[in-house]
Amino acid sequence: MTGQTVPMADEEFVMGFRKQNVWTKWIALAFFFGKVGSGMFILAVLLNTPLIALAGLAIENVGKGGSLIIHLGRPERFWRAVSRPQSSWISRTVWVMGVFTLIALLYLAMPQGSPAWQFFKVLALIGGVAVAITDGFIMNDSPAIPLWNTPMLPFLFLLYSLLGGTSVFFFLVYGGWVGVTPLIDLETLETVLIIINLMGVAIYLASLANATATARESLRLLLRGQYSTMFYGFVVAIGFILTLALTLFLGASGGALVVGLITLADLIGHFFIFYLLLLVGVYAPVTGKLTI
Amino acid sequence: MARFGMVVDLKRCVGCNACTLACKAENGTPPGIFFTKVLEQLAGQYPIVKKKFIPVLCNHCLNAPCVRVCPSGATRKRDDGMVLVDYDQCIGCKACAVACPYKNRELLPQGKLRQGHFKGHLTPFEKVKYSKFQEGVVIKCTFCCDRVDQGLEPSCVNTCPAEARVFGDLHNPESKVSRLIRQRGGFQPMSEANTDPSVYYLE
Repeated sequence: MTGQTVPMADEEFVMGFRKQNVWTKWIALAFFFGKVGSGMFILAVLLNTPLIALAGLAIENVGKGGSLIIHLGRPERFWRAVSRPQSSWISRTVWVMGVFTLIALLYLAMPQGSPAWQFFKVLALIGGVAVAITDGFIMNDSPAIPLWNTPMLPFLFLLYSLLGGTSVFFFLVYGGWVGVTPLIDLETLETVLIIINLMGVAIYLASLANATATARESLRLLLRGQYSTMFYGFVVAIGFILTLALTLFLGASGGALVVGLITLADLIGHFFIFYLLLLVGVYAPVTGKLTI
Repeated sequence: MARFGMVVDLKRCVGCNACTLACKAENGTPPGIFFTKVLEQLAGQYPIVKKKFIPVLCNHCLNAPCVRVCPSGATRKRDDGMVLVDYDQCIGCKACAVACPYKNRELLPQGKLRQGHFKGHLTPFEKVKYSKFQEGVVIKCTFCCDRVDQGLEPSCVNTCPAEARVFGDLHNPESKVSRLIRQRGGFQPMSEANTDPSVYYLE
């Protein structure tokens, strides 16, 4: 090491960058299920398919809630997480999930077309968006990790939520699992959302190139370091290129297998982008001095 | 009201890690978990190379991010500035560990207390010390609050052979810590994080 370089210290007794290692796969899974579930719910409400809305709600509650509980060191005390919504984004997330579930169930229980149904439809849509972005605020609320401390993250969570929901919806409709007539062209929506998400990720990563040395170290780990293979393989190749190519060149006309492949590829990319963003979260050296 | 803090004189620290061992002995932390440790930093280029030792511990920040993000209220600040974790309330979400810019919090994983230092065989010392911990929660330096409440210094301060660590009341302008900070220009670690740590370094 010279005065110009700072090593990755991990748990060794040396000064340097340190990776966060306590939020890993279960938090990534919670984010994944939360986004896919809320995305499905939002799209199902907009397309008026209550069964899929219920499925989205179930994915969000069972998948996200279950992953969060498994992540806890003391799962039996999970109920204590609601104690401090005034300052903790984890508390707020639990509250948002609970209130959203209640509103969504009321919306699903109301007679369709009634004024109350219309009212709860709007509230449920707002709740779905809130569920999608609050996870982004959990990450964004960690100024210790510059990679996450950006307002782009909640926005990226919303974009991925819409893409994840659309992908699953796309599969259910064109795979012949659900017999509904979509009001919008799901194939075009899927293509547009993949391109928007690709641009979102590119802008987010490009913005880090001129950020602090710590954020750049995270970027290095992701693009050129130990996680680059996973990033280029799962996120870029499978999540974006394969999904986009299949949607553009084959799409729904390719049959259930192609549609299933598109959805699977998208969900793989979806999970890995946030899993990797968790893994490459890096802290600055303790004294904040990069050279001495 | 007193605000307890520590001053670490980097010129005096010889990197012996006696503080690390004293802390392990006092708190009886399980293997691989350190409430304090001494980091090494090399600077310069061959043949002019300098080695520095930087002791680190929980900074008991005034604006502690760990207190703010804790969803259960398990992490609390005492009136004297010490930031402590109530193991009975901690749910093990690790949000505090993520939020701490100094990475001075550790998760005590399941099974760690049964494992001990000798792979399943706990010594009488370990049995006594481990009885105050709980698995699945986040643990950290307590500034040896039990010792401080009895009028003693934290164990790491008491042990340091070079007197590199000084403990005292930051609110008392006549205390040794306040005078050292004033006279030697003490600086807080990562002051840009706006956490207002109670640990100062002297260069």
